[in-house]
Parts: sequence; C-alpha cells; structure tokens
Amino acid sequence: MGVTCVCQVPVAEGKSVQQTVDILHKKLEQLGAVKQGNFCVDCETYQSTVNAGGQPSKLLYVMHNSEFPLSCLALFEGGPCLVADTNFDVLMVKLKTHFQNAKGHKVECRGSRYRYCDFLIKVGTVTMSSSVRGISVEVEYCPCVVPGDCWNLMKEFMLSFLGNNVPELPTVFAAKPEGLFAPADSVDTMTQYLELFNKLRKLQITGSNVH
Amino acid sequence: MSGGPAVRISIESSCEKQVQEVGLDGLETYVPPLSMSQNLAKLAQRIDFSQGSDSEENGVDSEPRDGEWGKQEPEEEEDTVKFQPSLWPWDSVRNNLRSSLTEMCVLYDVLSVVKEKKYMALDPVSQDPTAGKTPQVFQLMSKKKSLATAAQLLLKGAEKLSKSVAENQENRRQRDFNTELLRLRSQWKLRKVGDKILGDLSYRSAGSLFPHHGTFEVIKNTDIDLDKKIPEDYCPLDVQIPSDLEGSAYIKVSIQKQSPDIGDLGTVNLFRRPQKNKPGTPWHIKLEAAQNVLLCKEIFAQLSREAVQIKSQIPHIVVKNQIISQPFPGLQLSISLCHCTGDKKINRSSPEKPKPDDHLYVLEHNLHQMIREFHKQQLSSVVMPHPASAPFGHKRLRLAGPMAYDKAEISSLQQSEGLLEKIIKQAKHIFLRSRTARTIDCLASRIEDPQIQAHWSNINDVYESSVKVLITSHGYEQICKSIQLQLNIGVEQIRVVHRDGRAITLSHQEQELQDFLLSQMSQHQVHAVQQLAKVMGWHVLSFSNHVGLGPVESIGNASAITVASPNGEYAISVRNGPESGCKVLVQFPRSQVKDLPKSDVIQDTKWSHLRGPHKEVQWSRMEGRNFVYKMELLMAALTPCP
Repeated sequence: MGVTCVCQVPVAEGKSVQQTVDILHKKLEQLGAVKQGNFCVDCETYQSTVNAGGQPSKLLYVMHNSEFPLSCLALFEGGPCLVADTNFDVLMVKLKTHFQNAKGHKVECRGSRYRYCDFLIKVGTVTMSSSVRGISVEVEYCPCVVPGDCWNLMKEFMLSFLGNNVPELPTVFAAKPEGLFAPADSVDTMTQYLELFNKLRKLQITGSNVH
Repeated sequence: MSGGPAVRISIESSCEKQVQEVGLDGLETYVPPLSMSQNLAKLAQRIDFSQGSDSEENGVDSEPRDGEWGKQEPEEEEDTVKFQPSLWPWDSVRNNLRSSLTEMCVLYDVLSVVKEKKYMALDPVSQDPTAGKTPQVFQLMSKKKSLATAAQLLLKGAEKLSKSVAENQENRRQRDFNTELLRLRSQWKLRKVGDKILGDLSYRSAGSLFPHHGTFEVIKNTDIDLDKKIPEDYCPLDVQIPSDLEGSAYIKVSIQKQSPDIGDLGTVNLFRRPQKNKPGTPWHIKLEAAQNVLLCKEIFAQLSREAVQIKSQIPHIVVKNQIISQPFPGLQLSISLCHCTGDKKINRSSPEKPKPDDHLYVLEHNLHQMIREFHKQQLSSVVMPHPASAPFGHKRLRLAGPMAYDKAEISSLQQSEGLLEKIIKQAKHIFLRSRTARTIDCLASRIEDPQIQAHWSNINDVYESSVKVLITSHGYEQICKSIQLQLNIGVEQIRVVHRDGRAITLSHQEQELQDFLLSQMSQHQVHAVQQLAKVMGWHVLSFSNHVGLGPVESIGNASAITVASPNGEYAISVRNGPESGCKVLVQFPRSQVKDLPKSDVIQDTKWSHLRGPHKEVQWSRMEGRNFVYKMELLMAALTPCP
C-alpha cells in the first residue's frame, strides 16, 4: 500500500470513451508497463431514514475495491469512515430500517491494472446505471507511504502518459499534517474515488460520450 | 556489732513440759505434767490396736482398698468404745495388747530374717511424700496398659505393610489386565465396539488428513499357565496392529551426484539393522512404532502427491517408494520411504557393499517437523476457537478486512508452499552451503599466499546462512585487511557483500565462486602493497583495481600499483593478475644508469634526477616467505639509509 492519486481524464476530442482508454493503454504499454489483470471499484449510496432533530439526512457510501478484496469501506460524506470485513454488506441489509439503498445511484469503475516497476496504474471507465460517465486513472507508488516525499516523482511519471491532464496534489493529502508521520491508506484512495464519482454524477449525460 | 552493748543470753534447760500458751508479756504457761494413771491411759489410747490386728487379717487384700479401711476404722473403734467397756473395762486393752504381741513377734522374726541378709534385704524406699505407694502402682498399671495398646497398633500396621509388600510382589509377577488397560487408556484413544476394544493410532485428532484408519485392537492375553514360571516380560494385555503398520519405517533423504538409470530404479532396501519384533514386546513400544510407520507413510504420501501435482522444469519422479527430484543440474535429491516388516527377512542387501551413510538427517527431521506444522495449521484453522463474526482460515487473515490489506499482503499471508517444495529448497540450500564450504576450503589449502579464512555463523535459517571470508597475508594481518567478504548463501544463489557495501550475486555454479575468490586474492596483493607503502613511508603514484592494459586475464582483471620511495628516487610498479601472477618492476634514478642512451632533449644536469628505465625483478628468486614480506624487503633495500 503506497501513495495513490486518482484523477479524471477527459475524453479526447472526436474520440469515444473506449478509444481514449485504448490510447492510454497503448501509451502505458509503450512505456513498458505490464498488464496485470483487471480492477473494479464500486460505490453504493444509502440514505438515512431516521431524521434526527431536523438535520438534513446524511448520505452513507459503501465502497468496495478489488485492490482490498477482503475489505468494505463505509464513508459518510465529509464525515467519519469505517473499514470493515466484507460481512458489512450483510449488516447493511439488516439495517434496512435505518439506511435505505438508493438503487439508481450505484457507481462502478472497471478497467485494467498495469504495473510499471514500483508504480501501479489503473485505467478505468466510470459507469452509473449502465451509462458511461468518464475515465478515471489511478496511479499508486507502492514503496512510499508519505505523500509529500513522492508526489513530485509521481507527478513526473504521470506527465509521461497523461500529458496536460496531470492533477494537482489531492486534497486528502494536502489536509494531512506536515512533519508528522501520516501515511496514506486505503481511506485516502477511496475518498478520492468518492470525490471523482460525485463529480461525475453531477455531469450531464452527453450522448456523444456513451459508448 | 562489736561496738554495741553486750547481749545477755540466758541459757536454760530445754523445755520438758509442753507449752500451753505464751502470754502477751512473754510468760509461758506450761501444761501441768500428767499423773501416772493419766499418762498410762494416754499412752494406751495412742496405741492403734485395730490397725495391727486388721492388717493381719486383711493382708491378702489389695493395697488400694486400705485407704477405705482406714476411713471406716474410726467408726468401728467408736463402736467398740461405746459397747465394750460395759463388759470389762480393760478388755479392749487386753485384746489389743495381745494382738500387738503377736505383731511384735512377727516383727522380731522379720528383723531376724533381715539381719541374716541371706533371704531378704532391705532397700531404702524413695521418700516422695506425695506419691504414695498406691498411685505409683496405679501409674505403672496404666502405663503398662497404654503401652500394650500402642504395641498392638504398631503390630497391626506392620502386618498390613508386610501384607501389601507381599501383594505388590505378587502383582509384579502377575499384572492385572485391567490396570494395564487403564494405563493404555491414559495414553491412547480407546473405544468399545461390540465386545472388542479398539484404539486409534492415527494423528487425525492432531489435524492429520491422512485417510488411513489407524485402528488397533486390544487383546486380553490371560490364558497363561499360572502354575508354570511366568516369564519376566509377560503382559496380560496385547495389541493387534494392522498388518501394514507393522515393523518399523523411516524416511530417507539423500543427495547424490550422478543420476542412475531410471530403468533400474527399484524398491530401495536401506535398513541399517533389521529390528527384531518379538511377540513379547510391550504394547507401548509396539504402538509407538506403528504410529511412526503411519506418520512416515503420511509424509511420503503427501510428498508423492505434491510431486505429481507440482509442475517443474524437470519433472519429479515418483517410483515405488522413492521420489527423485533434480535441485541442480547433475544432482539428484531422493526421498525414500523405508519400511521393514518384521517377518520379512532382508538379507538381500547384506551381500552388497555397505553404502556410505549419505543420510541428510537434518532434512529428515525437518520433514517430520513440517508435517506436524501442517497438522497444527489444519487444526487451528478449522477447530480452534475463533470469533463468531470472522471467516474461517488463517488467524491473521481475520485482520485483512478491517485493516484493508491489499492484494500483495493477502497473498503473502496465504502463501503456502507444499512439503516437497520446502524440502527441495532446504536441500538446495544445504547443498549450496556444503559446496561453498568445500570451495573455500579447497582454495585455502591450495593457495598459501594470501591466506583465506572463513568464519561460519553458528545460527542459520533453513534457507539462508552466512560466512565471512577474510583474505590476509601471513604476518601482516593487522595492516592487510582490505578484503572482507560476507557471503550470504541462499537457496539458488550466493550474495557477496564487500566491506564497502558493494554486492555481487553469484549463481550456484561452483566455478563462479572460485573465480571470484581468485580475483579477490589477486586484488588483495596489490591492496597489501598499498597498505605497506603507507607504513614504510612510500608514496602511492598510481593505483588501479582493473587495469585495461597488458595481457587479458581469463578470470577477472589484473590490478596494478606504482609506489615511489620516500625521497622519490626509486619507484616500484606491481601488476598482479589472477592468472598471470605478479610482475614487479623497479625504476631506477637516471643518474644510476650507466648505459643511458644519449638524448638530444634532456641534456641539462638537472634532468638526471628524473627516474630512468624500469627493470623487472625476478620475483621468484626474491627472499621472503610471502609476497608482502618480499615487498617489504624490496622497499627496505631501495630506501637509502639515513
């Protein structure tokens, strides 16, 4: 588990989503990255049915990542998060009276997983109820857990295949205290995915992007 | 006292009369003396007549009763005093006098007998006033009684003890079937099926998955003639072991150089000593042997299953009771199950020459340990208590969910190598280690200058061990210690770490290590010259570990050094190669050279201080026991005396 950066790559002009993804794959293979299977990140939204004291009901996101196959993460928007066994899904079914599943809000991100020396690259397409919403790229630098120490290296690496689309330092890392040992972990990764999903959810479905 | 007034002491005759009273003024009033008749009457009253006559009559009575008689007497006396006087006034006196006379006579007789000292002697009696004669006797009696009861108790106890000792001896001779069964029950699992008692030999309860049932039967062996002499090792309990578990077995692991033709691979009979299995062996020895056979069979079954399943470049061969694998090319690791049943005579192997004992006992032991570990893993993952919410499996895998382990971490937890893979890895390591040791030892014995020292670490991992190799020159250990190598011997390769942190990875090939060490030794000589120059005050002009000039070495590179004498007149150049050996050249000052070709350029006298041409030193003819010593002598010879 190293430092992870998740970003959105816009669809190239005059190309479909799949074509853009293929271009990225090609670029990575030209670099020397090796394909190592697939990956999948999904996110389900639950709405709290109990309204305590007139406060607006909070949304609970339950996420899975194939990189952490035995774990299940539950995140409140901007609030606390929980890492649990996969048994947590069963628990959520039992909590039906408190949290209702928003069926239409399931977001998924699927794609290929590449390894280039110490880097793990995952290029995926984000789909929401069978409509493609965008392309995500996740880059992980495995040997380091301190974001500040390896961000420049990661940025340089991303420059080599993302070109102009290199993101800024993710906000989850910017918020980490400096000087203290605050390792990046699975929650940071999932928070970035959640931010990306929420951003894509608000986008208008443009017919040309649908593959 | 002497100064005081004289004290008057009056002396008077002792008082014959009794004092009746002493007045307040000190006047003593005396009792008036009795008259004759009064005196007589008084004396007569004093005589205790009754006691004398009564004691005569009641002499046979027991003494303790005398106390009672003593009490009754006064009453009787009063009675006689009351009634007798009416008959005759002196009657009682007369009677008493008569009886007293009798007593006096008896007393006289006794005294006369005593005086003779022939029949009777008088001893003084202890004068204890409190303990009279009667309580003493009583004490004696009670003591006697209590002693008697105590003695009885002791006797009873002794009797019991002797009885139990006798019983014990009897038991030893004729052991009870039930006690034997109890002992068996405390060590082995038993159950009753019908009228049979069956036991369990298998390791199933310890986590084994071997399908062999491993059942033994307990037999009552009591139909022995009790009148005959019972043999020493007779046991009323016997066990019936399944026929395929009889005898003894072991796993043999060995590494051989050449692989014999697969065609003539047969069942290996490798028994050091055929063990005799007498019918009279105690059951526990039998059961332990059978259990060992079962375990060996399980290990072999597991190994052969893995040998078939695992796909390797050179397939593992399973033939009869042997598994053959090739850890390194030209090497063969054979694991065989040797099972000897008691009734089969194995004399076939005896005419053959006794093979050298090529057992790898460490690996055999490790195999046993690993199968037990495997058992434990099975047991702990399935049976052991675990949290109700957690999934079955490895203990640390329970943390994988909540701690969000990624794929790499989970796979490292799940990594489970088979028994065969592990044992092959261990065999590879053992082989590589022994071959490394042999290579170093060979070099050390072959090459005297420089010397090689190997320090092996005592504590090793099953897959890794390390050795520290020092290359030194004899007599110069303190200044020439530039080459210190740490060899980490792994499973497939040897990793060499220099003192300065450079690391080189060598393969399992013997030649690689040998070449490497040879090149290191050659470099050592040049390093030694450099160190020596420092000590001798010479200046290093140039130094190179890898010279690009001169003849090409087949192993490594030659190294070279040039040093100049303290005053700069002489220079020594040394070139040392692993194969070509050393070549030493000395450069003389121009002034010392006679036949210097005239040069048009260098004509000024100041140029005579330049060093001139080189001359080679015939190194083999130099005096000195080793290279560094020779070099020291050369330097000393070229250093002018101050």
